[in-house]
Amino acid sequence: MAGSEVTDIAAPHVTELAPLIVLLPMIAFAVILFLGKVFNGNPTWKNAVKEGGIIALGVMSAVLVLSLLLIADFIGSVQAGHDSVFHWFTSGVWDGTSAGVSTDKFGFGIYVDHITVMLLFVAAFLCLLINTFSIGYMNTDPINDNRNHRFYAEFVLFCSGMLGMVLADSFLWLFIFWEIMGLCSYLLIGFYYERPSAAYAAKKAFLTTRIGDVFLMIGLVMLWDLFGSLDYTVVFDSANIEHVAEHSAGTLQWALGLMFIGAVGKSAQFPLHVWLPDAMEGPTPVSALIHAATMVNAGLYLVARMFPFFGAEALHGDLADLAYIIAVVGGITAVMAAAIAFVQMDLKKVLAYSTMSQLAYIFTGLGCALYLANTLDWHHNDKDHYIVIVAFGAALFHLFNHAMAKGMLFMASGSVIHEVHHAHHHLHHHDDHGDDHGDDHHDDHFDAQSMENMGGLASKMPITATAMLVGSASIMGLPLIGGFWSKEGIIANAWRVAQDDPKFLLPAMCVLIGAGMTGFYMSRMWLKTFAGKPNNEVAAHVGPTNTWIKIPLFLLTFVSLSSVFFAGMGFTHWAPDENYAFMSEKSLVDGIIYEMGHAFANEDSYFFIITYIAIALGAVAGPGLAMALYGGELEEGESAKPWMTPVIRLNSWVKARFNFDNSAFAESTLAVALQNRLYIDHYYDMAMLKIVAGFSTKAADADADVIDGTIKTIESGSQSISEVVRSLTTGSARDYILMVAVGMLAIFMLVWGVA
Amino acid sequence: MIDPALVSALSALMFVIGLGGAFTRKNAIIVLMCIELMLNAANMQFAAAAVHHGDTTGWVYTIFAIAIAASEVAIGLAIFLAMYGQHDTISLDDVDVLKN
Repeated sequence: MAGSEVTDIAAPHVTELAPLIVLLPMIAFAVILFLGKVFNGNPTWKNAVKEGGIIALGVMSAVLVLSLLLIADFIGSVQAGHDSVFHWFTSGVWDGTSAGVSTDKFGFGIYVDHITVMLLFVAAFLCLLINTFSIGYMNTDPINDNRNHRFYAEFVLFCSGMLGMVLADSFLWLFIFWEIMGLCSYLLIGFYYERPSAAYAAKKAFLTTRIGDVFLMIGLVMLWDLFGSLDYTVVFDSANIEHVAEHSAGTLQWALGLMFIGAVGKSAQFPLHVWLPDAMEGPTPVSALIHAATMVNAGLYLVARMFPFFGAEALHGDLADLAYIIAVVGGITAVMAAAIAFVQMDLKKVLAYSTMSQLAYIFTGLGCALYLANTLDWHHNDKDHYIVIVAFGAALFHLFNHAMAKGMLFMASGSVIHEVHHAHHHLHHHDDHGDDHGDDHHDDHFDAQSMENMGGLASKMPITATAMLVGSASIMGLPLIGGFWSKEGIIANAWRVAQDDPKFLLPAMCVLIGAGMTGFYMSRMWLKTFAGKPNNEVAAHVGPTNTWIKIPLFLLTFVSLSSVFFAGMGFTHWAPDENYAFMSEKSLVDGIIYEMGHAFANEDSYFFIITYIAIALGAVAGPGLAMALYGGELEEGESAKPWMTPVIRLNSWVKARFNFDNSAFAESTLAVALQNRLYIDHYYDMAMLKIVAGFSTKAADADADVIDGTIKTIESGSQSISEVVRSLTTGSARDYILMVAVGMLAIFMLVWGVA
Repeated sequence: MIDPALVSALSALMFVIGLGGAFTRKNAIIVLMCIELMLNAANMQFAAAAVHHGDTTGWVYTIFAIAIAASEVAIGLAIFLAMYGQHDTISLDDVDVLKN
């Protein structure tokens, strides 16, 4: 098959180093595991390298530097004026087996395009920050003694998997790294494996994502069947796509659809979402890294990777149904997860449902972008071209914003949980400090993650509260901050598609309503945790957190706040297209002015109205309702930082003016259903018991009777035969001689007879 | 000169006597002697064939076989000594540890 000709690799030295991004963490995995074993056995050495955390930190820093070099190289080669579409797809290919570029050999290659660059930065940057956070979070907890090396080893292995998946140059390698991440997710959710709930959650996460992965594998096999290869350079080649489109466009849609089911499982979308809330059993850094910022993006990455199929001219209109399914799955999940988040009391579970909901936004955004790419004549029409690029860019930009904000929110929640737990400890275990330290996570029923045990923390943990406030605002889409730019883009694009095709009104409506719901549950979470009076003695004694935890919170707060600059730099057109390159068209200021005008004063009245409805719901109605119900003035004498004071003032004013009794809702069937996660987990368990357990019992019987039965019959038969044969061995040498003689005679006669 | 066919017939007779003795007798030394008898039957067959074909290769084989037989007897007798040391007997019927 004809692959691409990559003759002009801009800076070979960088692309040659790129495999190190994957290899370094993988080596660190073995090193940390081995060193941890050695170090933990020796009490004086024990904390010498923070139980592997510092090694991991060094490796992740190196990875970030290499990633930034690779990204700079990519952007440089783009700026240098490569205008062929192909160079967008392949900046450089490194092949482990030979110096040249191969398309049909099995080798690990590096494939760099816009989507790679985006995900690579997100993964490398957040891995490093969350690693820093982990040192502050994991190493100060006595329960983690003697096992932190396991945490860091699995952590770096996960990073290796994520970076490998992003850089891989074929769907096969993508799948391999995808599974490495699944494994690490399983191991890290079950980090506290002696807790039955953690073991159960790990199993649930593993099995649920596995269901998706089976479909992904079938999809990949079908794709292989169609193209004869899984290399991106081959399957994205327009000549090859044309060839496939002629005969088997329907099969291709099925293959991509099955791959999408894999993405649904990995990114926790309805109906395979049940594992994500339970995955919060893992340590908080794991929730932040794997279940909020990186691994769950793998599904989105896979769908974004399918863009060349949807965008191909040869497949015009053929894949529109699949794009619709992607958008609908996203829309349903966005609303459903947001609704469940309304009633969660567990801080991390609110964030987990929020993650599902926001990932669903990105799926809807991608679905709409893919639909537009598939149905519009965007190769020849400049206006359509712009529409497709902006739709795709909005989804990718939301991925970026969400990863940054949600990683920060989880770290901030970890900081809160850590300090609440320590405060609880300080109060209740002061006398016997040290003795029963080892298993204090189990010996009482105090839940450090419940918002019942928080409240009024804004004055006690200023950095954490600020980070949480900015993160929440970013997720809510408060104008100018973080996710606002991308979320408005996704909502506007969903409505744009709904204009073309009325059946898209469903996802469009979902994302619009979801904006208001997001505003409510994120505000509720912040207000319940940080505003109002402390709910109990423990919350009143919480202290500020340590420096390792503060650093990443501080950095990410600025990343989320500077989203407006990213938008101005062209992140909203961050898509595989040569005409809308990174910062190539406008200066930063022009870009910001353009984005501002586009967002707030759209000349098309349709989008103008949609934007303001979304702002009204997400930034006014949702937070307003939450403010009327939760939070309030801080304790007497406590004061928050000046930038949080207005929020708390507004909150107490709204609460005083508009407070109402919502206990009728709290007791309603809907609230109970939401508390029980809409009974979906319950039905799955029932289905498992009835169908799977029933089938398993039958299968076990079949195994015992048919398969084991056959084996046993063979076994007993051979035993009785051997009884007979054994009686021939008398042990007497003379008998053996006789047998030899007779045997020789027989052979002789045989040979003679044949001759 | 004796007809090689007669020598061959004698050789066959000796082989059968040796074979019969090897499975019927229980004294290990007699069995060894019977084995030697069979070996010598083979030597005789070589000699007969050498005469018949007028080829000295057969004689050479015979010489070799005699040399090997000598060392074989030495090893065999050594085994019987060791066997006697362990089992206090050289009767083959009493030595059946290979059974089962």
